Amino acid sequence: MKWPNVKLIFRRELRDQLRDRRTLFTVAIMPMVLYPLMGMAMLQVAQFMREYPSKVWVVGQENLPNSPALIVDGRINPEFGHAESQLTELLVSKENDSQFQAIIRQCRENSGMTRTPILVDQLIQKEMQDRKIDLAVFIPSPIRLPNTSDPGSPETSAALIPEIYVFQNSAIDKSRIGADRINRVLAKWTGTVIRETLTEHEVPLELLQGVQITNADVADKVGKRAAAWSKILPFIVMIWSLTGAFYPAIDLCAGEKERGTFETLLSSPAARSEIAIGKLLTVMTFSMATSILNLLSMGFTGMFVMTRLGTGMGLTGGLPVGVPPLSSIGWLLLALIPISALFSAVALAAAAFARSSKEGQYYLVPLMMISMPLMMIPMLPAAQLDFGTSLIPVSGLMLLLRGLIEGNYTECMKYATPVCAVNLICCWLSVRWVVHQFNSETVLFRASERFGVGAWFRHVMRERDALPTLGSAVLCGLVILVAKFFVGFVVSPPRSFNHFAFQTVTILVATILVPAIMMALILTRKPRQSLRIRGCSLPMACAAILAAIFLNPAFTWFTGLVMLVYPPGGDIVQLEQAVSRILTSAPGLWAVLMVFAVAPAIIEEIAFRGFILSGFQSIRGKWQPILLTSLLFGLAHGVIQQTMITFVVGMMLGLIAIQTKSILPCILFHLTHNSLAVLLSKADASVVEHSPILARLLYSNDGQNFQYGIVPGILMSVVGVMLIVWFIRLDANPIPQPLKRTWFTEVASRLSGAKNNS
Amino acid sequence: MIHVRQLTKSYKDIQSGQFTALAGISFDAMPGQIYGLLGPNGAGKTTALRILSTVLKPSTGSALVNGFDVTEHPDKVRRQIGFVSTNTAIYDRMTAWEMVQYFGQLYGMPLEKLDPKMEAIFDRFQMNEIRNVLGSKMSTGMKQKVSIVRAMIHDPPVLIFDEATSGLDILVAREVLKTVEQLRDQGKCIIFSSHIMSEVQRLCDRVAIMNRGRILAEGTIDELAEKYDEDDVEELFYQMISVSEMKYESCRSSIAAIKSNSASAVQR
Repeated sequence: MKWPNVKLIFRRELRDQLRDRRTLFTVAIMPMVLYPLMGMAMLQVAQFMREYPSKVWVVGQENLPNSPALIVDGRINPEFGHAESQLTELLVSKENDSQFQAIIRQCRENSGMTRTPILVDQLIQKEMQDRKIDLAVFIPSPIRLPNTSDPGSPETSAALIPEIYVFQNSAIDKSRIGADRINRVLAKWTGTVIRETLTEHEVPLELLQGVQITNADVADKVGKRAAAWSKILPFIVMIWSLTGAFYPAIDLCAGEKERGTFETLLSSPAARSEIAIGKLLTVMTFSMATSILNLLSMGFTGMFVMTRLGTGMGLTGGLPVGVPPLSSIGWLLLALIPISALFSAVALAAAAFARSSKEGQYYLVPLMMISMPLMMIPMLPAAQLDFGTSLIPVSGLMLLLRGLIEGNYTECMKYATPVCAVNLICCWLSVRWVVHQFNSETVLFRASERFGVGAWFRHVMRERDALPTLGSAVLCGLVILVAKFFVGFVVSPPRSFNHFAFQTVTILVATILVPAIMMALILTRKPRQSLRIRGCSLPMACAAILAAIFLNPAFTWFTGLVMLVYPPGGDIVQLEQAVSRILTSAPGLWAVLMVFAVAPAIIEEIAFRGFILSGFQSIRGKWQPILLTSLLFGLAHGVIQQTMITFVVGMMLGLIAIQTKSILPCILFHLTHNSLAVLLSKADASVVEHSPILARLLYSNDGQNFQYGIVPGILMSVVGVMLIVWFIRLDANPIPQPLKRTWFTEVASRLSGAKNNS
Repeated sequence: MIHVRQLTKSYKDIQSGQFTALAGISFDAMPGQIYGLLGPNGAGKTTALRILSTVLKPSTGSALVNGFDVTEHPDKVRRQIGFVSTNTAIYDRMTAWEMVQYFGQLYGMPLEKLDPKMEAIFDRFQMNEIRNVLGSKMSTGMKQKVSIVRAMIHDPPVLIFDEATSGLDILVAREVLKTVEQLRDQGKCIIFSSHIMSEVQRLCDRVAIMNRGRILAEGTIDELAEKYDEDDVEELFYQMISVSEMKYESCRSSIAAIKSNSASAVQR
């Protein structure tokens, strides 16, 4: 890479963008004009934001006691809420009251009014519509204050506690606001009623309070400000960093292609990687500039608007938000570099694929949709920085930033390394993607083909490749994911083990096996090869089984680590418990193994290491196809914890499949791995104690949950790693000839023969 | 100077499956020579020239430019060529001066050498009036001038012109052709693709007539006229392309007939 060329390209692109009115408008003019305009609009709108009075229909006013008086001169007594009294207009008409009271009484007698009957709902709704009222208050019977001097009197009975009904229509805001006002008034009035009654009967009022609770806020002024800003600023920085990368990325790639200047640059001595990095630096500069300018403009506007609004509300010195602390700005600027790099690289790589600016926008909008949840997670009140969240790209960085702004340096330093590592890895991968896009002819010179389903189908049938293509592998993966997603909603809770087993196997067949086999038959000329159905040598088969056994402690520890870092939610735990209960009714261990080991091993391997991996192998190299297949394999397991665990297992399975060119060793590995997981979960003290090997291998703190011992586990893992190396070195060594005839090749050839005959 | 051997290029295409843009072309072009690639639209001229300029990679075959292989040393090849095409537009938001200077710097020329050279070239091509004009404000002719100057600023031994006069008015086209002739006279090796017969007849020392990714005939204009007994180049071109198209259609219908026969045989 020649850095003078990168610098030259960067300077040119920067100048070019600065001369582009659209980019300048988005990056500079908009933030500088938009926020002041918004501030002006807010101040203008604020003067119209007055509260409107609520119209309340009061039925049964005569039942209210004279003291303390709730209604005085046709208005709410200001003693129970001055503002509420001003904002409430009472309609104390006798019209319809008798009918209303009759219905309510009838309903009360029948159902005790635990829920308002439909008849009452309809009546109130009709009255609200006809008489333009917002809510109704109904006092069904005279309210008499309890008379403790006469303990036997019926008024002291709990069943005769006076009642007041407040009918509101929660679908209408005005009605809801009115109900809130009335409830506040009634709460104060009830308090007064109780106090007056207790005073009258000489009961000490302190009895009412029980315990005196005092709330004290020890946060200092700066801390409060930091806490308020720490939730807003990182989000603003991120969102504008992404938005700022959008238009320059589109213009620098798709725009150049559209204007025909891209080929001019490609024929110059600058290498593709230099062009990519030069453009990336430009997009990054604009992304950061957009973010900073927005932040500044928003900060200044916000400061003035808050002061004006605060003054308008009678608060000296404005609203209690204030200017963000200076240190927070420093942290934001520091975090902006990796974030802008990440967003710019992803935006540029996506834009490189587009042929025109319009098409570029189509690709970048989904990018925004994907990024938004990552930015929203840290805004949740419960979200906090821990090891788990620190490993989530963007979210982890935002949480770290939040912590730094709040001044929790000790906590932040603990997780700074994983946060930085994850985000830097993402940056590096994104930059590599950009360079790859710029080196790809199919990306740079993609012809504008009109897509028609008919033409595409004819092409697929006419030009079927021997093995699956990248597109068909992705399609198969997506079909499996979508099918599994929808099937998850359809399945009913299992009633018995047989029901559970039938349901599990049917779902595996319908959502995983059928799509893979159908696609292999329709989209490829050599379905057997596409599904990697071929025999393998005995050493390969044995090595796969041994690898599953010896790597089991490492996988088990990794599972434990994942569960520790990302503890499963309540639903998952409940589901696991339900499955465990059902498994107790299994006819035997063989049945459990059939459902959890045999069926998934065969079905998932045919689909993932068979069809999908074969398709991804059209990409160069060994590890990229393995990585992508494992990613899909992990996602197909649905739950995030399982996704992470199966992703790692999938990497091993992918390696075995590519190195042995057969799914038989993969099936054996998968089968052994799943069987060991089932057996370990079912291991109990009686079994372990009677086996000298298991007694040395496993230990348990509670006599129920057995785990691998540290020393035997590490020793086993070392052997497992040696087996991985053996599989990797299969490339260098000549691959042993497959067995002449195995049950597997026999079945495969019969299946293939049956297909040819048909 | 340029040696092309059995060069092929194929793409995957949804509509037609595998599309072969170049089906094994071979030719040689020497210094001080204008080599013409003549063919209708879709003949494969642009693909061949894009491979020579290292913008595309060949599927098979080899191409040497001034001794450097386009696949093995694309960076060195790019330093040997100047590429002007209908697709190589100029930047809208750069002036003529900035544009030429930018490419000169990309070719590794220091500013102290570049600026005097640019002054001389701008004088020679009478471009001083447009030196501070933005690309978006230039006429098509001006843009093409800038494009040519941009391609020759580093004084490359090979210049590639891909339909460089397409869409230009007669005055500008003549000026471009005059420039090409001057460059030939300076000893440059020039590849010139066009589908305008008069230009080819006037300029080219050797010609390759292309259709559907193949070279149908190759030689000097006189050699071709003698070999095919046709003095009018346009007529010669028309006849060769027509025969080639007829052969292509006949092959296609034969293949379709064979396919349909074998399908009905299988059904029976």
